[in-house]
Amino acid sequence: MGDLRIEKLAIDYGARAVIQGLDLDVHDGEMVSLLGPSGAGKTTILKAVAGLLEPSGGNILIDGHSVRGVPPEKRNAVMVFQKPLLFPFMNVSQNIGFGLRMRGQAGGETARHVDHILALTRLEGLSRRKVHELSGGQQQRVALARALVLKPSILLLDEPLSNLDATLRQRMRELIQTIQSETRMTMLFVTHDQSEALMLSHRVALLLDGRLRQVGAPRQLFHHPADPEVARFFGGKNFFQGHIQNGMYHSDFGVFAVGPQDGNGHLRTATIRPEDIRIVPRRAESSGGLAGRIVKTNFEGSATRIVVACSAGELVVLTSQDGFLPGQEVEVTVPPDKLRLFPDA
Amino acid sequence: MTRSVRRMTGWIVMTAVGLPFGPLILWSFSERWFFPGLWPQAWGLRAWTYIASTAGMQVMAAIGHSVVVAAVTAAIAVAIGLPAGRALGLYTFKGKDLVSVILTLPIIVPPLCVAMGLHLWFIRLGLAETYAGVIGVHLTFCLPYAIFVLWGVFSNYNPEFEAQARSLGASRLAVITRVMLPMILPGLSVAALFAFLLSWSQYLSTLIIGGGRVTTLPVLLFALMGSGDRPVAAAVSLVFVAPAFVALLFSARYVGTRSLTGVH
Repeated sequence: MGDLRIEKLAIDYGARAVIQGLDLDVHDGEMVSLLGPSGAGKTTILKAVAGLLEPSGGNILIDGHSVRGVPPEKRNAVMVFQKPLLFPFMNVSQNIGFGLRMRGQAGGETARHVDHILALTRLEGLSRRKVHELSGGQQQRVALARALVLKPSILLLDEPLSNLDATLRQRMRELIQTIQSETRMTMLFVTHDQSEALMLSHRVALLLDGRLRQVGAPRQLFHHPADPEVARFFGGKNFFQGHIQNGMYHSDFGVFAVGPQDGNGHLRTATIRPEDIRIVPRRAESSGGLAGRIVKTNFEGSATRIVVACSAGELVVLTSQDGFLPGQEVEVTVPPDKLRLFPDA
Repeated sequence: MTRSVRRMTGWIVMTAVGLPFGPLILWSFSERWFFPGLWPQAWGLRAWTYIASTAGMQVMAAIGHSVVVAAVTAAIAVAIGLPAGRALGLYTFKGKDLVSVILTLPIIVPPLCVAMGLHLWFIRLGLAETYAGVIGVHLTFCLPYAIFVLWGVFSNYNPEFEAQARSLGASRLAVITRVMLPMILPGLSVAALFAFLLSWSQYLSTLIIGGGRVTTLPVLLFALMGSGDRPVAAAVSLVFVAPAFVALLFSARYVGTRSLTGVH
């Protein structure tokens, strides 16, 4: 059990600043995802917390104590890498017991802990296996077990699921979630996959261009993005330009009743999620929506992504209805209550 | 490749390697073997009894010298080759190409030139006709090979294993002894074996630097061959090749039996 506090962290690679002034708290028993595109510096942050990389500025506190200058083996933070990195010259239980042996724990004690963790990670019966005899998913579970058995204050997970296929990844997510809720271990989970972050974590921290853009509960980030870039990261495609006038939002896509707002007359950006837009084939009598023509349809299984050209521009619509065709005349409706207005730029 | 072709190739390679040993074995057990006889006219154990009893002490001493020189050479070659190979395999730095050229030099320059050139220096340094001198000159040939092998080993080495071990609680020293060394052990053994065998088979450089004072097995072998006693020379040759054969079997265990024939 433990907590992590990152204060004004700065990390440079040579002359290039990768991370600047980053603040993040991970509370005891919490699962926080560090979400961001590839190359955003997520792994760099984890390595700094693990002690594998020296930050150029700021402070890192584990359980309230600064760990600057503390070598990785003395920090109570264990990192699980993207690749399983299982020692090939050891079998499964030897791999899992590695950290305990490094701590000088007695053999019998180690074996007992290893057995417990084998059960927790559903690896019973594989303890004598050589690591190259394991499947990718099993290898990743051993890597996870090897870190879990040490009961660190904070477990750092660096995209441990990214090399697995979709079904396996889903199963591993559920396993990690179960383990987290059973052990209440504090975890910082790095991923570039937004659905993974949203599903797994209590809070999500979105990292774009080396800065944290928004930290909050999954639903908050998804439904109330702090700025257009956050919205774009979560798949936001439809952005309106307009201004507020007496509770009405006047935009190029129409006028929407958004209720009392500050900043009368100011230019404001708004967004609507593709799945919140309603789409119907156009009939003789208008239902009050925007007229448009379908440019493109992409069938994605449970939903179809449709690009509609309206007079003010293109809108992306995600609908569970099937049967729309390119070239078809349609009518789209933007529910004003689903419209997310960003604060003044 | 089909199985039969593979088997054929295997046999061809084994025959090519084994063929020279046939006459050697025949010679060592012959008492009389004159042209144009296809087989020795008389068989006997004279050569073997000679090297076991009359020249026994000499042969044993020579084996002892050879083992000590080759083992120390291999140990030093690996001790220096390990950090050098790691640096070359894992990092990019200025002058890496130059290092590679310099390492190749002792291999491409004829050993006679190297030994002759070093001889002058070794006399001044008091290393001529000493064990240290012989080991030194052997290292000029063995060290580049050891470095090249370990360079290759570390080119395929993922240092993230070490970062993972550190994060799991291993100290710097434990990372070396518990992670790095076990990971590179097969490659390390090959490098040590190479260095050992290369030192074991050195004749010219041992003779020049050792000045006949350091009698390793090859030096003794050439002396016996010069005496014209073919059966004895054949028997000593077989003794000489024995460790190489053992080493080959040992490395085959690591690299896999298929490497014995070179067919994969």
